[in-house]
Amino acid sequence: MINLTIDGRAIQAEPGKTILEVARENGIFIPYLCYHPALKPIGSCRICVVEVKPGPPRPLPACATYVAEGQEVVTASPRLTAIRQELMKLVLINHALECPICDKGGECELQELTHALGVPEVDLTAIPATSPPDYESLLVERHTDRCVTCGRCVRLCRDHVGAMAINFMQRGYFTELGSGLLPLDCEFCGSCIDICPVGALINKQFKYRARAWEVTKTEMVCPFCGGGCTYELHLKDGEIMRVYNGETALLCGRGRFGWPVLSSPERLRTPLVRVNGELKEATWEEALTAAAGGLKAVLEEAGPGALYGVGSPRATNEANYLFQKFFRAGLGTNNLDNPARLHYVKALSALGQVFGWPEVKEADGPHPKPPAYTSPFTVKEDTKGSGFTFVLGFLEELPRADAALILGADLTPELPPLGWGVNAARQKDDFKLVVANPRGTKFDRWATVSLRYKPGAERLVVAGLMKALLTAKPDLAPAVPAQGFEEFKESLKKFSLKEYASRAGVEVADLEAAAAILAQAQAPAILFGTELLSQDKGDMNALALADLFLLVGKPGTPGSALYPVADKANTRGVCELGVLPDRLPGLLPLDSPAAPAFWGDKKVAQQPGPTLLEVLDLLEQDAPEAPRALWALGGDLLRWLPNRSRTEKLLGKVKFMVVQDAFRTDTAKLADVVLPVAIHAEQEGSFISSTGRLGVLKAALTADGVLPDWQIICRLASALGVPMSYRNPAQIFAEFARQIPLYAGLAPKKAVGKTGIPAELKGTFVPFDLDISLPGRRPFTLIIGKVLQHSGSYTTHEPCGTLVVTPEGAVSLNPEDAAQLELKAGDKARVISSHGEVEAKVALDPLLPAGVAFLPEHFAQPAAQMLTLNSNLVRVSIQKA
Amino acid sequence: MDAARLEAILSRYEGEPYDLIPVLQEIQDNYGYLPKDEVKEVARRLNVPLTQIYSVATFYKMFSLIPKGRHQVKVCLGTTCHLKGGPRLVDSLSSRLGVEVGYTSKDGQFSLETVGCLGSCAQAPVMMVDDKYFARVTVDKVPKILKLYQS
Ligand code: SF4
Ligand code: SF4
Ligand code: SF4
Ligand code: FES
Ligand code: FES
Repeated sequence: MINLTIDGRAIQAEPGKTILEVARENGIFIPYLCYHPALKPIGSCRICVVEVKPGPPRPLPACATYVAEGQEVVTASPRLTAIRQELMKLVLINHALECPICDKGGECELQELTHALGVPEVDLTAIPATSPPDYESLLVERHTDRCVTCGRCVRLCRDHVGAMAINFMQRGYFTELGSGLLPLDCEFCGSCIDICPVGALINKQFKYRARAWEVTKTEMVCPFCGGGCTYELHLKDGEIMRVYNGETALLCGRGRFGWPVLSSPERLRTPLVRVNGELKEATWEEALTAAAGGLKAVLEEAGPGALYGVGSPRATNEANYLFQKFFRAGLGTNNLDNPARLHYVKALSALGQVFGWPEVKEADGPHPKPPAYTSPFTVKEDTKGSGFTFVLGFLEELPRADAALILGADLTPELPPLGWGVNAARQKDDFKLVVANPRGTKFDRWATVSLRYKPGAERLVVAGLMKALLTAKPDLAPAVPAQGFEEFKESLKKFSLKEYASRAGVEVADLEAAAAILAQAQAPAILFGTELLSQDKGDMNALALADLFLLVGKPGTPGSALYPVADKANTRGVCELGVLPDRLPGLLPLDSPAAPAFWGDKKVAQQPGPTLLEVLDLLEQDAPEAPRALWALGGDLLRWLPNRSRTEKLLGKVKFMVVQDAFRTDTAKLADVVLPVAIHAEQEGSFISSTGRLGVLKAALTADGVLPDWQIICRLASALGVPMSYRNPAQIFAEFARQIPLYAGLAPKKAVGKTGIPAELKGTFVPFDLDISLPGRRPFTLIIGKVLQHSGSYTTHEPCGTLVVTPEGAVSLNPEDAAQLELKAGDKARVISSHGEVEAKVALDPLLPAGVAFLPEHFAQPAAQMLTLNSNLVRVSIQKA
Repeated sequence: MDAARLEAILSRYEGEPYDLIPVLQEIQDNYGYLPKDEVKEVARRLNVPLTQIYSVATFYKMFSLIPKGRHQVKVCLGTTCHLKGGPRLVDSLSSRLGVEVGYTSKDGQFSLETVGCLGSCAQAPVMMVDDKYFARVTVDKVPKILKLYQS
């Protein structure tokens, strides 16, 4: 600690902090303009000047001067006031004073500073520097004549968002913020809006709808993806005015602009019941009676095993917990799964094999009456953790990685916060980045090595990397005790390095360079996405990466971790709360010694249920154990399961289907009873983000006609003879948290595995399959994946704000491939696989290699899963429609 | 976009970010301005953000983002010319060519610019078309001068 005085007050501060930071922490006011807590200081506006002794005779910028032992800082003096006032006048000369009509009025830092610094009239004149406002760009409105050239937006967009979409133009006296071309062509995250101190950047959704002081603010977790961002929801008269993040400013476009989807006409507002073959509107009483009646009939006829449950990565932890409790404690079966089976669950099973399933021993508790959404367990001295949870990365630590491998993920669309984390990490001079993807992606720009491999060749790339690592450093040993290393090395001998490279379609030298980066890294991070997990051998891909991390990872060093993408708001939660056929809440095995205590005298069935994919096979075989009834907690199965026509046929065999969803999805259209659910701020509950953060949703909006999932489950379970009643979701959280020592120390905004539990790690190398053949002879390999402006299908309903940026799904082609097919951008093309075909507009993308095409997964049309068999990779032919 | 024409320029460089200014200079000389599509391609090839290119291009006066006309009309607004009627010349040219200062006429024939002292104050007001000087220009001489260049 450092001792200094500020305005005569003795203060202790951590070394490495700036005077401004220390003053703010101690409640001492120093005005500032170009500084923002989320950005590195640049010291350009000089409004924050202070007198520092010992130091030069001139005042120093507090935002860019570090604290030092024995420093005496003076933050207010006549000289400082004069300097600050003069500087403010210079800022104000060319500032369009439009406060009455400016959207920033009431929360403008310039207004506040002018007031705080008592700036008298501006007695200077100069040539007016004016520039016309930009009303044309989507979502963001720019008034450059209100800009104070603090550069906050430019730095945020460049260093954190990584879009570099705005910069200063006409540098000199006439400096203005510009984007080169009009209109703005960027990621439309809107982060620049929230970091701008003035009204130069305006949120079009908010403009003229409310004044800053009229809104009520609710802090909550963003429900649009697994990023787990927290933001403020601003409401007026019960309506959302905007989504705002004053703290770090960073949000993605879906999170910031997606909320109008809540009022979509496609939202379901009344329950539906099938009468004479047609879905008709019904009251809640009628619908719940019909659902209970239909399910009871099946259960009575065919026994408890006849009902299968599909949980939801959009639903809260509380809803998913109750859902599996109904099956386990109520019916005594494990007949349930969730749609993450298609990707994230594959990562879990691979991680479980290599690092073991998570377990926490000797947690202190459960203590009575913990605060809401807080674990009743605490971490004590001899608490010990083990298993893969402790090698999973924490978002806040990603910037501390000194090297990163991004494999099989177009990172920003997959999970924007991981993109921000890597951008923050690359601000360090020694940071090295390896980007491996069949397509060119945003992060190639900063890659030390880019590996452009053939679609589906991930495992060959990883095997090649390990081969190169072990050749260069034969004595390389894992950082934690590991088994099976010798056999594993044997398995890599299948091919030579040259063969791995040529089969994967990359250069030996690039593999060697990438391996060298990983070998030298002190804190390497490995990030991978659903693009690689959604392949039929996604579990093998994850296994390869888990092995690689066992070999080069430095578990325990902040930033050195595995970062698999759990894409939806609660993909991680639905799995961790046990909506899996073979795992209980806390990911405990069915035969865990803790299991009997879960639900009183009801024993946990020891027989695992079939997985979601096995269920389809059972239906296809008309097997006696095939489910006759299905209860789906959201998740449009037709949209997400591969081979749509098969899914459609097989779901047709299910006798009775209950679907809870917010929208009239294609799967809902097949159901016998559809129960409309609350989403977003219409309900309370918690999520676990991709990186383990516990986020809490607040019920700030009134739910018009719909009910939260947990209430529906309680009512339906009770009607089926499994009584459930809870006061609120917090009570449900309290119930499951008592069963999960893994969550010891967990509380809102804290992350699973990062609550201070010391971990004892060990690993087992598990050889993985090296066959990457993709069936079929068609000329193109189609990759089905994510685009930035959408998250699942949630954001594809009008009037979701991001639809103005990406209104539809197009098939992207390399321009030369397109030219050969005589296709131009915007033309209609037929995309044909052996399983089906779709029509889609053509987009040209020079970042795609020849012979590779890309189709987004989000849209109802083109329905990507019409084309697939069992993987997000499929061979297709493409022709003019 | 004429890919070959741009390639002829790009192929002489290594494709590194530091090649930006010489590449832009060559494009400026070759095309008479920095066309949008070409700039986008330069951004891609040199791995320089587009906004950074525009930031550079708007800083240096040697770069122009709009096509220059076939003929460059420059009117002196240095102190002497300013006093001797330069601004009236600008108005007259601007209305006859139908173009604002800094822009190019619709038919692509003339760009109109104002400049600082051209060093011929004794003959003020002075204007230039391409490399040729016109001295003691009065408003009624403007049509005759333009006629020399109108095709
Ligand atoms: S909206 Fe996002 S990407 Fe676009 S300019 Fe602003 S910060 Fe950059
Ligand atoms: S637009 Fe706003 S944030 Fe950006 S430089 Fe201007 S004042 Fe600063
Ligand atoms: S990254 Fe995900 S969690 Fe964050 S704002 Fe975007 S959609 Fe929401
Ligand atoms: S806030 Fe310190 S120089 Fe701008
Ligand atoms: S002022 Fe015009 S030539 Fe000198």
